[in-house]
Amino acid sequence: MKVLTIARNTFREAIRDRILYNLLFFALLMIAVSLLLATLTVGEQSKIIIDIGLASINIFGALIAIFLGIGLIIKEIEKRTIYNILSKPVPRYQFIIGKYLGLLITIMVNIIIMGAGLYLILIINELRWGHDIFNVNLDIWLDIWKAIYLIFIELMVVTAIALMFSTFSSSSTLSAIFTIAAYIIGHLTEELRLIGNKLPDSFMKSTINFFYYFLPNLDNFNVKGKVVHGIYVSASYISLVTLYGLLYISVVLLLSGVIFQRRDFK
Amino acid sequence: MTINVKHSLVVAFPLIAALAFSIYIVQHQIAGYKGIEKKIEEFVTLPKGEYLKPAVFGYDQLVADIIWLRAIQVIGDKVVTPKGYEWVYHAMDVVTTLDPKFAYAYQFGGVTLSELGNRPDMSNMLLEKGLKENPEVWQIPFYLGFNNFFHLHNYEKAAKYMSIASELPGHPEYLPKLASRLYVQAGNPDIALEFLINMYKETDDEKVKESLEKRIKEVIIERDAIYLERGVAKYKEVYKDSPENLQDLVRMGIIKDIPPEPFGGYYYFDQSTNKVYSSVIRDRMHVYGK
Repeated sequence: MKVLTIARNTFREAIRDRILYNLLFFALLMIAVSLLLATLTVGEQSKIIIDIGLASINIFGALIAIFLGIGLIIKEIEKRTIYNILSKPVPRYQFIIGKYLGLLITIMVNIIIMGAGLYLILIINELRWGHDIFNVNLDIWLDIWKAIYLIFIELMVVTAIALMFSTFSSSSTLSAIFTIAAYIIGHLTEELRLIGNKLPDSFMKSTINFFYYFLPNLDNFNVKGKVVHGIYVSASYISLVTLYGLLYISVVLLLSGVIFQRRDFK
Repeated sequence: MTINVKHSLVVAFPLIAALAFSIYIVQHQIAGYKGIEKKIEEFVTLPKGEYLKPAVFGYDQLVADIIWLRAIQVIGDKVVTPKGYEWVYHAMDVVTTLDPKFAYAYQFGGVTLSELGNRPDMSNMLLEKGLKENPEVWQIPFYLGFNNFFHLHNYEKAAKYMSIASELPGHPEYLPKLASRLYVQAGNPDIALEFLINMYKETDDEKVKESLEKRIKEVIIERDAIYLERGVAKYKEVYKDSPENLQDLVRMGIIKDIPPEPFGGYYYFDQSTNKVYSSVIRDRMHVYGK
């Protein structure tokens, strides 16, 4: 139960953070602006709205995950509240898990708000063109949730990575840079497979493959392009990728726990 | 506390190792999925270069390189469907819009589309675009000449492009001569052969080389057939009768010997059509015959 208490407190603290509201505001603004951009196009207005909407949810979600995630531990240290907590009979790993869960709830709430914003704009768009709201391409509309769900899993991984960096770094700037770098690398991992397959040298090949398998592969979670073009994303793919995300998170959290356990607070 | 720390490590590391192994397995599975879903068709989601340009914040060349690397891996990977070549064109179009000076992309796209994809129309579109952006690269008009000569049979245009290529810096020595010969005797298989052999030398792609090799052999057949048919005509002139077979020509001293068939078959004379054929490739490339 200590975990849940820490999670609840983390959530409460996070929703008081000004960064969160700034980011959420801009995300919703972007989604709303897509309505204006959609007027510039001919046909397929909803495609533009979905593209911009999903991209906004992804980008701003990642920013929320990174900036709140790195602050999780570092802020506690800066404010010296960590001594308070660790002096109580709370195992350090529970502290980490609690913090992590608290942030996940925050991100989930935000994603749901952004997703709802996207649907709202889509509905407004349909009404504006005088379409029958019950006659839209429901398949794509429902598939949007597949994309949003996988964005959430991706953000879970990103949050875990941000948390891990903040367990050993004492500077938020440094942790932010690390996490952003990991995010970018995570989206390029897929290229490694293509390169690895083509390399003639087996040593190089196994090195590249090692990185391919053990760097976070965030492209796994990216089905935005498929969803918007109505390409089917199978349930088995989604569950496999979810499993991947959970496994990756477990490793990162375990590492965070080990690092945090060994850290001295003076 | 120290005991606790050590204890945590003992538990954590085997666990991390086990999880890492599971990640490996799962990622392997995911890659399998992507292997099925990810093919040339992935370029369907690639936006046109004009629209991608403002979105890459000035890193045009870098993004072009990434798409280029990706595209050539995919093209090299498997048999490409006719629809697939349209996406090859699209990908090359995007790459060259982002990085218009990337001359090799035009050449590669041009030769892949015409030689492997049998789409000289798209190949020419790409190469024309390349010629506009890189008027100093001799390979681009050279390939345009090749397309016009072999695929579109527009010899005049082919000769025009070849003379453009032969005036550009760095062109090979044979080029001006080839260009001038194209103007006067476009239908001669010797010219075609010379052109093809040089094209073969300019290409690094193995698949294209293979295709060119086959084409070279076909032209050799055509050249030999024309040579043998001339012999048959001479035979008729002298003996007022058709030869039974090609050996008659050698026996009567009209020709020295029958050239070897490049695919390993043999040549024969068909009295009913009055033509010489190869035992391997029955169809004649009529375009080179005068």
